[in-house]
Amino acid sequence: MNAMEKVAWTELLVSVVAVATATSLYPWLGNQAASAFALMALVTLGAVFLRRRGNVVVVDERDRQIATAATRTATATAWMSLLVVLAVASLWSNYREQHAVSTAFLNWLIWTQFALIFGVRGFVAVVAYRRQPHAA
Amino acid sequence: MPRKSEPTLSNCVRKLRAQQQGMTQQDLADRVGVTRQTIVALEGGAYTPSLALALRIARTFKKTTDQVFQLDE
Repeated sequence: MNAMEKVAWTELLVSVVAVATATSLYPWLGNQAASAFALMALVTLGAVFLRRRGNVVVVDERDRQIATAATRTATATAWMSLLVVLAVASLWSNYREQHAVSTAFLNWLIWTQFALIFGVRGFVAVVAYRRQPHAA
Repeated sequence: MPRKSEPTLSNCVRKLRAQQQGMTQQDLADRVGVTRQTIVALEGGAYTPSLALALRIARTFKKTTDQVFQLDE
């Protein structure tokens, strides 16, 4: 497993853990459970794998190609899901004649999107690496 | 990543490496400036290299690019 694959796994696992923690704490903490998204800061740990070790190549063109494709997919997914959620929220608010959404809702939406971007990015990259033959 | 409908490149990098007194994948990776995993993917036909990498690999083996890489259509 090379450095960028480890970074992808880190992004995927941190995102899944952050979302799982936030949703599992929701019954007890309510909207304050969104503070569990602070776990997303752990994605910066991925930088540990990118340290240069002498003259060894850590990231090459294949890694950059996979990272670009993963980022493109993650960004598109996040934009589409954001539009869908906002459209549904808008329709729901009109239906209930509440012409505003709560800041708590926006807080959850922003953090979920943040986790979604890193989660999808990590997932797409992990799948791309898994599909290629692996060095022993 | 090449899509299934796109033409892919086959190559004889593994054979050429074996002819070079057992040049390892890591040796080749170091010479052309990529990771060993990229050489593994390239030899397995799962990765299509950039033009620059293809030229560097061909130059390492003192061959032309079309002696190393062939287009599968």
